[in-house]
Amino acid sequence: MSTESQTFTEKYDLLGCIQCGRCTGGCPVTVRADLNVRQFVNDAYDEDKLGQLARLAEIWDCTACHTCAVRCPKGLKPLEVLIGLRSMIVESGKVEPTVRDALQSVLLEGNPWEKPRATRQDWMEGLDVKIAEPGVHVENLFFVCCTNAYDPRVQVTAKNLVKLLNKAGVDYAFLPEDESCCGSEVFTLGEEGLFEMTVEDNTEYLNEFKADRMVTLSPHCFTTYNTHFPDLKNPVIHYTQLMDELIQEGKLAWKGELAKKIVYHDPCYLGKQSGIFDEPRRVLKSIPGVELLEFERSRERSLCCEGGGGKMWVESESKKERLAETRIKDAKELGADIVAAACPFCVLTLEDAMKTLGYEEEMRVAEIMELLGEFTEA
Amino acid sequence: MKSIVCIKYVPDTSEAEVKVNPDGKTVDDSRFSFDINDADNYAVEESVLIKEDKGGEVDVLSIGPKQSEVMIRMAMAKGCDKANRVEDDRIADHDPLMVAKVLAGAIKEQEFDLVFTGCWADDDGHMSTGVALAEYLGVNHASMVKKVEVLDGKVKAHRELEGGLMEVVELELPAVLTIQTGINEPRYAPIRGIRQAQKKELNVVSLDDLGIDPTEVGSDASQVLVENLYIPEVESAAEFIEGETDEKAEKLASILVKGGLV
Repeated sequence: MSTESQTFTEKYDLLGCIQCGRCTGGCPVTVRADLNVRQFVNDAYDEDKLGQLARLAEIWDCTACHTCAVRCPKGLKPLEVLIGLRSMIVESGKVEPTVRDALQSVLLEGNPWEKPRATRQDWMEGLDVKIAEPGVHVENLFFVCCTNAYDPRVQVTAKNLVKLLNKAGVDYAFLPEDESCCGSEVFTLGEEGLFEMTVEDNTEYLNEFKADRMVTLSPHCFTTYNTHFPDLKNPVIHYTQLMDELIQEGKLAWKGELAKKIVYHDPCYLGKQSGIFDEPRRVLKSIPGVELLEFERSRERSLCCEGGGGKMWVESESKKERLAETRIKDAKELGADIVAAACPFCVLTLEDAMKTLGYEEEMRVAEIMELLGEFTEA
Repeated sequence: MKSIVCIKYVPDTSEAEVKVNPDGKTVDDSRFSFDINDADNYAVEESVLIKEDKGGEVDVLSIGPKQSEVMIRMAMAKGCDKANRVEDDRIADHDPLMVAKVLAGAIKEQEFDLVFTGCWADDDGHMSTGVALAEYLGVNHASMVKKVEVLDGKVKAHRELEGGLMEVVELELPAVLTIQTGINEPRYAPIRGIRQAQKKELNVVSLDDLGIDPTEVGSDASQVLVENLYIPEVESAAEFIEGETDEKAEKLASILVKGGLV
């Protein structure tokens, strides 16, 4: 993490940029918003211009999908220039009310959804969930994520996981009620101070638990812990990696058949940011009866759903077609019955798009864990 | 311009079920999140905007527990200068008149131009603390304020009345204004600002420190007695309107007219 004494140019290595344009050329947001990340990287050399740049609405259009970073031949992260500009607005306090409320909720309640901390484990009601204790070893320590814990649509991911783990006899435990947000969206919304505090507090908290590894349900938590938390003792994996292992070991008992065409949507935080492409596909292919399709834009080229980068709390000014709608249309053209994802934000944005397009009768958006819950013995 | 903004730490009852404790007189607040009262947040912003425009100082005043200090520090991060937090179990804090008397006791020895409060509290919803405070301080007041213009020795307050009517009143300073939500857009308090605000003066005071006689603000002095709290029974009825679209619209319109809703 950068020190306060660095200039903006030093902090984001702006002089490393050769203005080749691969960032803007690959940016998925350019089809619907007036965002030109190469221009921002160029103009931000001029420190006197920073205030003016920070006030441009399009800095909030970036979804932090990292396509620009993946494509940059110099290994830079152009998106972080936009995050740096967002930080200037955050420090002034003049952010959108939705962003203000989300950030304040992370500080006060440990989640961005303005939900009480005391209700973080309400999703566990009626389930036999093992809860971790500091210092007591467990093989798999689960970090549920704020969205999976609180959003009624995606709580099914955690619920199905518990049933499956219990049935498969996996040694696991979920973190207790005092688990707090990983800070993924705090980082991309530009609240540097709160993110630094999150890294310090969560590192101290999570290191109290002894585990072979920590398993995250959301790719956002997964990537954030692996990228920004250098002092975590336990390695961090995504749940699709664990499911892949359990399937290879023959620990899941299948029931019924899912004779459907499924297309897998690579979440940006799982795929292009963390290189997890094959495990979710293997898991889906393992479900009896499934025919797995591929989007034309898949793996590193996967089209962002616009759920990341704090966009769950910032509405774009653009009225053009949402990328999630483009994605659903592509899936329909492929003849897919189900669009599967392994990320709560992807599920929420894609499902909204499917409903907006009126495809509910003919298509379904599902978390991989939803399908596993339906087609394994529990 | 010297202002004092009074703020309250309240539970958010929208995200957890409200349950009455076995005593029948209090609410189980163990599952609620707590934050600044919504209207008070707008009052803080208005006081800071006026300070930024006219110069001067804004002090925070609050009656509340230690946990409420995060709310006070946030107000300071936004631009308030110093704070007094009153903590004393002897205050009958269910009674807005007793609360107003304590606030007045904490303010009365100071010189001030404006006192801001929220127009109502999200927990008990009495809408009377600010007005009672003006009475105890012996100064002018305007309630439900949606716009403030500070003039020379006066303040022009735009009050939101029923039916969307706006009333504009001019008050001699000093005065108390109870602020309605929507008057401004409260800013975010970044964590770095909150950390810097740790250096600002925050005094914790008791009734004794303020020279207030506890018997005058305690339950014996209060005219309000909570006898019983209960959750109203939910009654509902749903009618499904059948027919073609035109018919449905006509039936719906008829129901709305009969019910006096349009």
